[in-house]
Amino acid sequence: MKLVTAVIKPFKLDDVRSALEKLGVHGMTVTEASGYGRQRGHTEVYRGAEYVVDLVPKVRLEVLVDTAESEAVITAIIAAAQTGKIGDGKVWVTPVESVVRVRTGERDAEAL
Amino acid sequence: MLSRGEPYGAARRTALSDAADAWLAHLLAAAAAGDDSGIALVAIGGYGRREMVAGSDLDVLLLHSRKRGIAEVADRIWYPIWDDGVKLDHSVRTVAEARSVAADDLKALLGMLDMRHIAGDVGLTEQLRSTVLADWRSAATNRLPELRESALERDRSNGELAFLLEPDLKESRGGLRDLVTLRAVQASWVADVPHARIGPAHDRLLDVRDALHTVTGRSTDRLVLQEQENVAKELGLLDAIALMRSLAEVGRTVAYATDITWRRVDQVLETRTRRFRLRGTAGKPAPRTPLADGVVQSEGEAVLARDADPARDPILVLRAAAAAAQAGLPLSPGTVDRFAATAKRLPEPWPEAAREELVRLLGAGRPAVAVWEALDLAGVMTTLIPDWARVSCRPQRNAVHRFTVDRHLVEAAANAAALTRRVARPDLLLVGCLLHDIGKGWPGDHSTVGATIVRDLAPRLGFPEPDVEVLVMLVIHHLLLPDTATRRDLDDPRTIELVANAVGTVENLDLLHALTEADALATGEAAWTPWRANLIASLVEKTRAVLSGTPVPVSPGLTEAQRALARKGVIDVHIGGPGARTAEGTIVTVVSPDRAGLLATVAGVFGVHRLGVRSAVTETIDSAAVTVWTVHPEFGSPPDAAVLRGDIVRALDGSLDVGAKLERRAASQVLRPGIEVPPPSVSVVPDASESATVLEIRAHDRPGLLHRVGTALAAAKVDIRSAKVSTWGAEAVDVFYVVELDTGLPLDEARATAVRDSVLEALD
Repeated sequence: MKLVTAVIKPFKLDDVRSALEKLGVHGMTVTEASGYGRQRGHTEVYRGAEYVVDLVPKVRLEVLVDTAESEAVITAIIAAAQTGKIGDGKVWVTPVESVVRVRTGERDAEAL
Repeated sequence: MLSRGEPYGAARRTALSDAADAWLAHLLAAAAAGDDSGIALVAIGGYGRREMVAGSDLDVLLLHSRKRGIAEVADRIWYPIWDDGVKLDHSVRTVAEARSVAADDLKALLGMLDMRHIAGDVGLTEQLRSTVLADWRSAATNRLPELRESALERDRSNGELAFLLEPDLKESRGGLRDLVTLRAVQASWVADVPHARIGPAHDRLLDVRDALHTVTGRSTDRLVLQEQENVAKELGLLDAIALMRSLAEVGRTVAYATDITWRRVDQVLETRTRRFRLRGTAGKPAPRTPLADGVVQSEGEAVLARDADPARDPILVLRAAAAAAQAGLPLSPGTVDRFAATAKRLPEPWPEAAREELVRLLGAGRPAVAVWEALDLAGVMTTLIPDWARVSCRPQRNAVHRFTVDRHLVEAAANAAALTRRVARPDLLLVGCLLHDIGKGWPGDHSTVGATIVRDLAPRLGFPEPDVEVLVMLVIHHLLLPDTATRRDLDDPRTIELVANAVGTVENLDLLHALTEADALATGEAAWTPWRANLIASLVEKTRAVLSGTPVPVSPGLTEAQRALARKGVIDVHIGGPGARTAEGTIVTVVSPDRAGLLATVAGVFGVHRLGVRSAVTETIDSAAVTVWTVHPEFGSPPDAAVLRGDIVRALDGSLDVGAKLERRAASQVLRPGIEVPPPSVSVVPDASESATVLEIRAHDRPGLLHRVGTALAAAKVDIRSAKVSTWGAEAVDVFYVVELDTGLPLDEARATAVRDSVLEALD
């Protein structure tokens, strides 16, 4: 099992959700986040002082998936979230040891 | 960015900049699709100065006068750079916008002062450059104080390049940011910056930064200890010491230039306001008041008199330095330069006047440091005292020291100036302080080596034979008092005897005491705490009594209340009490039935509660042991007395396993990588006591160390009569007075060796 985490631009959240629905991924956790990458949060046309690093609002999305599906999920997220502009974000995958559904106690594959 | 195999130096940096320029010009041409009117790419900051090093980022400004369409052009320039993984610090502005940012943001202004046209409409760049410079010059009177404030603030939080163990090449005082500040002052046309010395210093600093980035593969500017050897090798230097020495020189040169420059700025700004106010007196030359023969005071500095000739008067340099320091003034840079050009060795032995001026200089206290520093940087001091060369800019490897060796010596002498009332011979005190570490940098024990040097140097300075003997004594024994006071039992008459024999007379004792204090204050904050001061004062008092023939006062030992507790045969812990909170700790008295491992167990409890142990003394009354500890909290406030008491009681009756707790904590601590720690050493100190065997343990401080040692000693069947514990930085020095558990006598040689070995084993 894998945890797929994505940090994306906030206005792209709905697009990503639809894309994941189409893949059959029905659950996710969404949190508000802020961050920056190599560009220090500056836009292409940045007027302010050079030495400032700006935190830009983002959305963080987390989905638990079967290992076999993780590639497809990554591809879907990227396709939906990409704008080609600075600040599109990143997606990464971490292994998960076990998952349990709280209400029923189902584990692992049944809990996904 | 291209990484070349070229040797370090300005050529390499220029080559990197040129490569970047070519790339950016190409990008602009592609982005503008042939029409680059109204756009310019400008390099600013370090890139503008062509100071590209391995980890630099590109500092670029896209200047434009277009109303629309600039965003697309910007995209086509920035994206290729980002996509290539090159670090970019960019902005997009019109001339007016850039001007406004420069007026508001000092940091942005400093970057723009170094702007350089890369590609595009050169007229635009020139327009911005002239505007920004003109604005800076007209606002200089108001903005220079702001610049100075921010520089001072930065210095305060980042320490000095010359003296830090792990300096930040950019932010420390004497580092790259200070050099940028100097350029800004130069550009303001308010004051001139001494160029001759700055140039080589600047180049050296950039080379080191380049090598550091190459060696670490990152763009960090902090020259950490573990990289110093690698950086030295990368630059082709002999070793880390050579590197740090060269950096110390650079740091001091830049710091000194910064000081002079700001003094000049002050003078000019003061004149500007003065001239505005007192129009009638404009045009008169500044007044010059005499300070000494050949030296006058002018505009807040000490300057050579018009008819003074240092070439014909070799003592003039010392006289001028002494006069300046005594008046609390700095020497003017011009005067320093004249001395540098004309300095020569004095006839040996030195004439008395020369020696007197040296003593007057040192006796001035704090102002002497700046004066000495100025002359030392110019090489004058090494000419006058050739032995000074070895300690000049020499780094100390011990984290307890704040300064390089030479600065430490001068600081010690300056500190001693306040203590001259305590001694019969102030001159010997001041010179002794100046030379006490002169043996550092030569192989061997620096006290012994220093004594050899002083035995040769002092007569050359003109001191008569009896004075030479005193100076040699001061140098060879300059660590005697602190070592003895913190590591030996002051109640043991043998200890006092050793010190009295070394010192010889009461006058010498006073000199050594004052030197010890001056030395410690010049070392660092940890070296002269009230605890240490009290211990040393107590030692001095006892030694004075021996030297003047009066009987040695015996310490009161345990109070009647404590003895009463012991006779009851009960475990009792008493924290505090009248007079119990001393300057450096709380006194905890533990009374319990005597048994092996008592010291180790209680030390373990203190370790669990994160209390550092300063000292411990035990006394056995009938079958009860009374141990008096002085402890201090390592973090924050001391733990609750009741909790501490309860834990000690439980540990002693066996229900609390302190050993296990300490092991767990040690296992979970993540050790910082970095300094290689030498292995622990345990030695038997011969001749230190007649009634016990003295073991001295030196090890890297860690939680539970005392507990481990105590456990090992208990297992070896020895009884600990008293213990003295000190921590210097991260190194612990623990001394134990031990006797055989069954007989109560000192250990014989074979047994002592066996015990030593078993303690050493326990420490690994």
